[in-house]
Amino acid sequence: MSKDSQMRAAINQKLIEMGERERLKELLRAKLVECGWKDQLKAQCKDVIKEKGLEHVTVEDLVTEVTPKGRALVPDSVKKELLQRIRAFLAQHATL
Amino acid sequence: MKLIYVSANERPYTDGCGILTGSIHPEDNNKLVAVTTMSPAGCPHVNGFKVDNWKQNLRVIYQCFVWSGSAETRKRKAKSCICHMCGAHLNRLHSCLYCVFFACFAKKHIHEHAKSKRHNLAIDLLYGGIYCFMCQDYIYDKDMEQIAKEEQRKAWKMQGEKYSTWEPTKRELELLRHNPKRRRITSNCTIGLRGLINLGNTCFMNCIVQALTHTPLLRDFFLSDRHKCEMQSNSCLVCEMSQLFQEFYSGHRSPHIPFRLLHLVWTHARHLAGYEQQDAHEFLIAALDVLHRHCKDDNGKKANNPNHCNCIIDQIFTGGLQSDVTCQVCHGVSTTIDPFWDISLDLPGSSTPFWPLSPGGDGSALNGESHTTGATTLTDCLRRFTRPEHLGSSAKIKCSGCHSYQESTKQLTMKKLPIVACFHLKRFEHSAKLRRKITTYVSFPLELDMTPFMASSKESRMNGQYQQTVDPFNNDNKYSLFAVVNHQGTLESGHYTTFIRQHKDQWFKCDDAIITKASIKDVLDSEGYLLFYHKQFLEYE
Repeated sequence: MSKDSQMRAAINQKLIEMGERERLKELLRAKLVECGWKDQLKAQCKDVIKEKGLEHVTVEDLVTEVTPKGRALVPDSVKKELLQRIRAFLAQHATL
Repeated sequence: MKLIYVSANERPYTDGCGILTGSIHPEDNNKLVAVTTMSPAGCPHVNGFKVDNWKQNLRVIYQCFVWSGSAETRKRKAKSCICHMCGAHLNRLHSCLYCVFFACFAKKHIHEHAKSKRHNLAIDLLYGGIYCFMCQDYIYDKDMEQIAKEEQRKAWKMQGEKYSTWEPTKRELELLRHNPKRRRITSNCTIGLRGLINLGNTCFMNCIVQALTHTPLLRDFFLSDRHKCEMQSNSCLVCEMSQLFQEFYSGHRSPHIPFRLLHLVWTHARHLAGYEQQDAHEFLIAALDVLHRHCKDDNGKKANNPNHCNCIIDQIFTGGLQSDVTCQVCHGVSTTIDPFWDISLDLPGSSTPFWPLSPGGDGSALNGESHTTGATTLTDCLRRFTRPEHLGSSAKIKCSGCHSYQESTKQLTMKKLPIVACFHLKRFEHSAKLRRKITTYVSFPLELDMTPFMASSKESRMNGQYQQTVDPFNNDNKYSLFAVVNHQGTLESGHYTTFIRQHKDQWFKCDDAIITKASIKDVLDSEGYLLFYHKQFLEYE
């Protein structure tokens, strides 16, 4: 594993251990609902389901088709805020 | 027949990977839907798994690796949840249900394991969904879903209450089946709009009723039938309000005749009885007061203490006003906090001097107001309201620090903001000599940020942080205009009307029985007497 992914894994571990990951998930969920992202994605999913047909669509279909659009639609302000929170968390637990 | 509203945004999804169960209707997001529970699609391949102590094993997996509630399980999850093939922790990690093996889904590592070991079930460690490699999709076995839900709730409880999507109870399902009539709310529907007949100078009451029936939280409270009446007689004003909401949202377009409401108001607020024109602001306060008194805490507790009531009126309308009196000698501060339902603002042109304030000070830029036209703004009035005021040598206060009467300054700030903030522009002057109406135009914004007027902002200013950098992520103090009550005419003979906001950007003018569409410009150009603002973002407590 590269140094980068080692660091990533270590940060992830710390976030889970301290329960911060759950808190960040909650925060993210709230922000994404607030800014309408959830509704946009719901609409995307409905389109995919209509396209593939309800009887045949799988979760994989949804994930493959909707993930790139979902990622692109996240507002910069939300990304910024999460980054800020993660930085603040790391600054606090500087033993990493 | 009572109408019960269910928002389409609260449909019961199974907590799987976000896939919808049940049929999809090509509808727009706001449709109110009939709620049915569909039996989740299980698959026959789980039978191989459902042997011996499978339930307990499954629970352990959920507790340890999916929804880890305790610190201990979290530590274990952090350390062990990596792919056994490539070591990554991203890529949609799954755990085999038949053996201890974690692997990426995205890189197909778990698929390889499933094939070689013929272990055909795996669980998604992020969302808890069960994947069947034979069916090649996530499956929703009723028993397993039940366990998943219970474990999730347990973990959440350990971390404090978290958001969970609404699922109807048995009773609610029954109610919905017995009341099959549904109403479609589109962006141009007029539900909730209804005129009110004037019963003889009762526009002062009608204008307030329009504002209240369009207060979102109040509407939700009454339409979801949350008032449980404990009054013996028929004179409960809250019950009458509940009836009123049913009338307004019934879909009837003919104007409603609020004679029962008027009668109840006369009974409980005698100073408003009679057929002469009353002050709409006085009516608002009297109505809130009676509603507050008639509401027991609808969560079951009785409102013993008038200062700590938890009724819907207090939850929505009550804020806290902080008053700081500073002794000019020892600089000791004596602080009191009083509850308020509205903020009454003095206007320039009244006999109380309106201190000239430098333009562009705290708050104006924030609320997008310009001073080029020289018009007074709502923010100006709020700044004046929250300025430190020297009480003068004739009004010395006894200072507990100095043990004597000293000159002091007094300052008001907002300690706690209500969910609905009502601003009362004091247009009616009733001093000893004059009785007149002040018609000075005051411009008010559609969106208002109350941050500069908060007690906490004042504290930062006092600590030397003069440049109040606005935190763009703090949404606590942002408000949106949703109703404006206007008074036309003179003190002796006048008429009240209300502008209310129906959907995001649609405004309507309510003039007794007549409802007409209004533009945002109409609203913002109006004189303004009572301004109703609603908090933009609500947090769960």
